[in-house]
Amino acid sequence: MGSRWLLLLLFSLTTSALLAQSSPPSAPTELTVQSLLDRIQRLESRINQLEDHERKQEAALAGTPAAPVTTQAVVTAPVPAPAATQARAESPAEEHASMGEIRDTERRFPSLQIRGFGDVDFSATDQKGSVSGFNLGQFVLHFASPLSEKVSYFGEVSFTAQPTGYDLSVERTIIRYDYNDYFKLSFGKYHTPIGYWNAAFHHGAWLQTTIARPEMIKFGGTFIPTHFVGVEAEGNIPSGGLGLGYNVGLGNGRSSLLSKSGDSGDSNDNRSWVANLYARPARFYGLQLGASVYRDKLTPLPGKNFGEWITAADVVWTKEKPEFLAEYANVHHRDELTANTWDSQAFYVQLAYRLPWQQSKWKPYYRFEYIHKPENDPTLVDVLDLSGSTLGVRYDITNYAAFKGEYRNSRHGVNEPRVNGAFFQTAFTF
Amino acid sequence: MTTHWKIASRAFASSCLCLALLQPVAAQRHDVDVAVVVHPDTPISNLSLSDVRKVFLGDRQYWSTNIPVVLLIRAPVARERDVVLKIIYQMSESQFKQYWIAKIFRAEAATAPKVVYSNDMANQLVTAIPGAIAFIDSKDVKPGSKVVRVDGRLPGEAGYPLR
Repeated sequence: MGSRWLLLLLFSLTTSALLAQSSPPSAPTELTVQSLLDRIQRLESRINQLEDHERKQEAALAGTPAAPVTTQAVVTAPVPAPAATQARAESPAEEHASMGEIRDTERRFPSLQIRGFGDVDFSATDQKGSVSGFNLGQFVLHFASPLSEKVSYFGEVSFTAQPTGYDLSVERTIIRYDYNDYFKLSFGKYHTPIGYWNAAFHHGAWLQTTIARPEMIKFGGTFIPTHFVGVEAEGNIPSGGLGLGYNVGLGNGRSSLLSKSGDSGDSNDNRSWVANLYARPARFYGLQLGASVYRDKLTPLPGKNFGEWITAADVVWTKEKPEFLAEYANVHHRDELTANTWDSQAFYVQLAYRLPWQQSKWKPYYRFEYIHKPENDPTLVDVLDLSGSTLGVRYDITNYAAFKGEYRNSRHGVNEPRVNGAFFQTAFTF
Repeated sequence: MTTHWKIASRAFASSCLCLALLQPVAAQRHDVDVAVVVHPDTPISNLSLSDVRKVFLGDRQYWSTNIPVVLLIRAPVARERDVVLKIIYQMSESQFKQYWIAKIFRAEAATAPKVVYSNDMANQLVTAIPGAIAFIDSKDVKPGSKVVRVDGRLPGEAGYPLR
């Protein structure tokens, strides 16, 4: 008889083991275990908070029935799943808890969020006269602060290492009023919405896949005005699945130093304007198509005026398997005195792919870029012809830090030798 | 020995029967649909999957001029979050975090989704915060909640996309 019970026990245990194995959990990675532990810790501290809160509530109310969570009318939609319609017993403690949660999630104004970005770089090239070595990239602080349900502030400042110290620069400062999704009006200093990259990746190298921006939109360059001071309207355009959106701006345009925007005032009485139209088709999640037009009058020297028209187009696929970015821009200048005209073109094509192995930390990439400028264009004197390739890989050390290594082969100028270089960067946000 | 064999056979048969009966329960746990629940005053009752995506990507930020969208999303490891990341965002956890950092500091959104730690909390907040939208396991949706149709279907109906 005893042996029967022993056998039954043995089979029960076997059955339990089999049942336990019937829905096996996925292999617990170190990350998952850590996140579970973190979650348990958060929940435990939350329970403690709630219990304290409940005790305080009970002491304060001293027998008063708990207030309902909300008195608003509730529209009922049937849920076919039978389990979903089952009433869940709720204790007053749950309602007390929810009131605490609601208070925790109430929006407070202003509520400033600050995020920093930094990078440390190493470069070595075979260009004559170049010096290899380390350098600190830009140290950048981003600010975002809702001021009310409809008004928000965004700011960005950068510290750039120079031989004699650090340059502090206000890169963006924007106050925006959101009327609705179709109309948002803002004032301040922006990254000019020409093409895709300039408005998508700001200062802070961690945000972008590669170490550096494409030459055509590099900060401090003159090919395209990267900054814009003035007023901008933006929003979605009712267009169904086409997902159209727009940016329209009016501002000072370039200062007399063409790489700078007119932060302290315009260089002439002519305002610049910019219009950008883009589509994010719902059917192709990740795809964005855009076209931009920019108009300005340049006054690099008193009495020397040039009309400027910039037209640009971009196609991007923002999902990382693969990531595809391509932009083209034509910059047209016209001397208002002689009516001479010059057209310069630039484009880049960048392809990257987030590899699925090792928790998707590796992302190899390749970029080809090209710039052509007429030799006698008197405005873009700092711009050189360029034909270059960049081959690199990004490794995300954590969710907030990345290491990048690149090989570049490029020719700057006409009939100049090609230059090879190796570049490394660790970029992070904090 | 024969008696023992009989008992063993019976026990084995019972075990198999138990396993067969419990198998659908275990499978059902993973097939429960995730409902899209909104605040009762939100002026929508049907969204396409791409509309839901647009809302959760922060590309649509207002239900109407005076009702901003308030996104609620479960904390990491919750099944609802996995479903949202896989079907709506099509991103990994780290891509999701990077997406919202970039979104906020591009000045395209003022705040990231609010994190909720349980379906109870999601139920309470979605009925209390005007404009709130949350994903809740359909078996945990409180009666009286406003459940939105996705592509014309409610949780539990054939072809419902969020599971």
